[in-house]
Amino acid sequence: MGDAPKPVRVVVLGGGTAGWMTAAGIAKLLPGIASVQLVESEEIGIVGVGEATLPHIRGFVEKLGIDEAAFMKATHATYKLGIDFRDFGRIGESYIHPFGSFGEEVQGVGFHHWWLELARHGMAREIGDYSLAVAAAKANRFRPPAQGDGLASTFGYAYQFDATLFGPFMRDFAREIGVERHEGRVVSVERDAQSGDVVALSLADGRRVVGDLFVDCSGFRSILLGQELGEAWEDWTHWLPCDRAAAMPCTHATPDLRPYTTATAMPAGWRWQIPLQHRMGNGYVFSSAHITEEQACDAIIAAAEGTPLADPRILKFRPGRRARSWSHNVIGVGLASGFLEPLESTSIYLAQMAITYLIELFPTGGTVDPRDRDEFNRLVDMEYVRVRDFLILHYHATTRDDSEFWNHVRMMQVPDSLAGKLELWRRAGRIEKYSDGLFYDASWIAVYVGQGMLPEAHDPRAAMIAPDALQRATERLRMAVAGEVATMPGHRDYLMREAARLAEAA
Amino acid sequence: MSAPREPLRRIVVAGGGQLGILAAIALRRALPSCEVVVVGGDPGPAAFADASPTAMPFTNKLHDRLGVEEAAIVTRAGGSYRLVTRYVGWDESGQDAVVAYGEALDPALKTAFARDWGRVRLPGEGAPPAGSLAEVLASAARFAPPPPGEPTPISAVDYALRWNPAAYRDLLIATAESLGIGYVAGVIDRIEPGEGDNLRAIGIAGQGEIAADLFIDCTGPQAALLASHPRFAFTDWSATLPTRHVYIGEPTAPVIALEDRLTLTRAGWVSEVAGLDGRRAMLGTPAPLPRAEAEALLGARALGAVALTPGRVEAPWIGNVVALGDASARFEPLGPLHLDLAHRQLALLVEMLPGRAITPLERDEYNRRSVLMMEGVHEILALHFASAPAQTVFGARPLPGRLVAVIDQFERRGRIPFREELPLLSQEQFALLVALGWTPGLPPAALAADAAGEARARAAFAAEAEAALAFAPPYDQWLARALQPRANPG
Repeated sequence: MGDAPKPVRVVVLGGGTAGWMTAAGIAKLLPGIASVQLVESEEIGIVGVGEATLPHIRGFVEKLGIDEAAFMKATHATYKLGIDFRDFGRIGESYIHPFGSFGEEVQGVGFHHWWLELARHGMAREIGDYSLAVAAAKANRFRPPAQGDGLASTFGYAYQFDATLFGPFMRDFAREIGVERHEGRVVSVERDAQSGDVVALSLADGRRVVGDLFVDCSGFRSILLGQELGEAWEDWTHWLPCDRAAAMPCTHATPDLRPYTTATAMPAGWRWQIPLQHRMGNGYVFSSAHITEEQACDAIIAAAEGTPLADPRILKFRPGRRARSWSHNVIGVGLASGFLEPLESTSIYLAQMAITYLIELFPTGGTVDPRDRDEFNRLVDMEYVRVRDFLILHYHATTRDDSEFWNHVRMMQVPDSLAGKLELWRRAGRIEKYSDGLFYDASWIAVYVGQGMLPEAHDPRAAMIAPDALQRATERLRMAVAGEVATMPGHRDYLMREAARLAEAA
Repeated sequence: MSAPREPLRRIVVAGGGQLGILAAIALRRALPSCEVVVVGGDPGPAAFADASPTAMPFTNKLHDRLGVEEAAIVTRAGGSYRLVTRYVGWDESGQDAVVAYGEALDPALKTAFARDWGRVRLPGEGAPPAGSLAEVLASAARFAPPPPGEPTPISAVDYALRWNPAAYRDLLIATAESLGIGYVAGVIDRIEPGEGDNLRAIGIAGQGEIAADLFIDCTGPQAALLASHPRFAFTDWSATLPTRHVYIGEPTAPVIALEDRLTLTRAGWVSEVAGLDGRRAMLGTPAPLPRAEAEALLGARALGAVALTPGRVEAPWIGNVVALGDASARFEPLGPLHLDLAHRQLALLVEMLPGRAITPLERDEYNRRSVLMMEGVHEILALHFASAPAQTVFGARPLPGRLVAVIDQFERRGRIPFREELPLLSQEQFALLVALGWTPGLPPAALAADAAGEARARAAFAAEAEAALAFAPPYDQWLARALQPRANPG
């Protein structure tokens, strides 16, 4: 483009997952528009732990032109159809929140109303039996969804991968497409006296990295957005009390490979099991107000099904977010802008979301327009609050009274935005609808039903069909689901089919 | 354990225009055990949804669900097809532009078109290339509704239907009768309050009263039921929407066309809808016009004029009364937004169909979404009057909702911020903004994209356009065949 202005100098601070995703995204999607430098220090570790993702990650990887198999190989990735939540509503109960739907709408009435009617007559199977994603997950089977609108298309998938390998994979990719890396610790931040904009970062060895736009990916330290610009922190600890994780990998205990992540509620939080190609990631997300770090470490060692591959390490975090993610010429991506615990694997999504909006609203001339900044902050705000409410639901929709932690979350007052949704569900079995942001009807239904929070009433139309006719129809669906699952290969078999996606044995 | 809610036993639909009857059909189909009674006749020409000879693509889907057959509308109600709307006089440059339905363009192609649209055109250079398959087909006058369920070169083309309102209403009445929907002619002369915010019954002059669990107000702008509710409140849109007078033209000679028109004139806007029963024109002005002048602009004798105070009800569902269409929002009939809005509200009501006892939160949720729908219409209409030529006719006005940000994002970035429940898809809004004279900016990623990708997208579109033209028959010939009496099939 002959009339292209000088590239905007983007400086990314921090070389974790968010930092290298940002650098790779901007360098790949805005060539000539932006030049990207990244400052990271080997002295500072990254937070990334065994991570599970949401289906959106596939769009990101694809947009960057990255081959799926190469990406899976590099990050030891497996496929993911959803999350198995255990003991959340009540100890001993579990359900899968799938990347997919339950049954289908019939005569304009959502499937869950028909299911509730069947349940009333004692004729309903578990709601997951009517979901292809759930049934496949339970059977440890996997095949990518089909095109079109048949049953085989009614789910999506994501990956479970090693986040400590995802960052470096993104780094290699980014450096290959021209991102310049500076090794060093930032000792001071230079700002324009008049505008307050950040002008340059000074490194410990005296170097000075000058830029037009700064992306703060410095994790919880939030060096630019929090420390330098003093952007206020909105704390959500009251609703999401977990503030630590004890993470520890172990060997696979069984030859099977689950195409799903497991989240098991614990006395002071919950623990994850994320199956990667050669090991299982484990971690106990807990509230330090309720148990000590030692207790958490002991608990995760005790809970691991395979042989531990390392000592547990403690990660600290704070749920909440900066009031604005974009202030002056600084944009926070990842933990520097906010944190929501990994209960629904949203961390990488939230970073990806911010990167996508930043690219859409990128200041191509180098000067930030306040209107773009406001639009960015509006969008990020909406996404965070919607995810937050959905996470709170997992804690609040419970009958557990076996610990102080569960008593707190069960009895706490939830945000108004969530209280209204809960009441609408209780009274009428309906879900508040929106088309923007994460987590639609099926997700809310999965958690409500899975955690035993059934409504008091459902759609009157569901009772217009004789129960046995209704049962025959849903049985046909269940058989179709089971039949489809029977044709799917095992998750491990499918994964192994192509050597290109397999990592070398660790 | 969850129990099914006790179903509604009787629903009264007030207002027997094409909206009220379709509402009755939808409710009866949703709840066959429930008695549905339509009370009163057609609310008249000021109820724009009821008088509308056309709708938008959403209505086709609703018709499908309700068993109102498109083929029946064509053969029995003078049905015809609109692929595009041509905007004349809204763009300062004097360039016409057409707006099609749907969201079928790939991003690279959209960028390529944005470059064409954004470029300064030399006099005599002609119009920019077609921006949709619909436009290609409309200018070649070729089309037939694509057979459902099989992929064809024109399956991605979305369309709207037009019809003769009286014949379409008769078609709906026949359906309503076959479904056992009751009808009471007469005038509603009183409202009998019930418990709390509910209505118990309505009185019909000289015929006693009729009670119901749920009342649907389809009586047009007078909102005969809702407006008599003590908690009724109205949100005025006068500051943002300038049309005060709407002149309705007498149908003139039949027109077979795949396009309709919205023209900005010195005195106001003119909408023209083609029809097999004649061309129907309406004129909207900020101030009253002498009859002769109005008729000159209409190109037809004026049947009448409607005075307009635009606005919406604060809550379209109060107690057990739900207002649809003109009973919930009044605005200029600049395009077929009235019936589209009414039908989307109706679909929402059927989706959220309450039990006999209504819970406040479901009402709140319905009202939240219905208000989003109405405010979405408000935004789209106000956009028309924000164009520079429209401001010289109607004066400058503040922009409602998020329009300032939308126009700004569009001009600088070619970006349409997402809003819930809008009447137009993002790509339709994009085309409308272009038609109204705004120049799309380019998204940052498009500035960086290579020209080869756009060239490939253009070439692919050219090939699709060629295939569509080869597949679609001349529209007039197809229509003539479709309308032939089927006396000797085979």
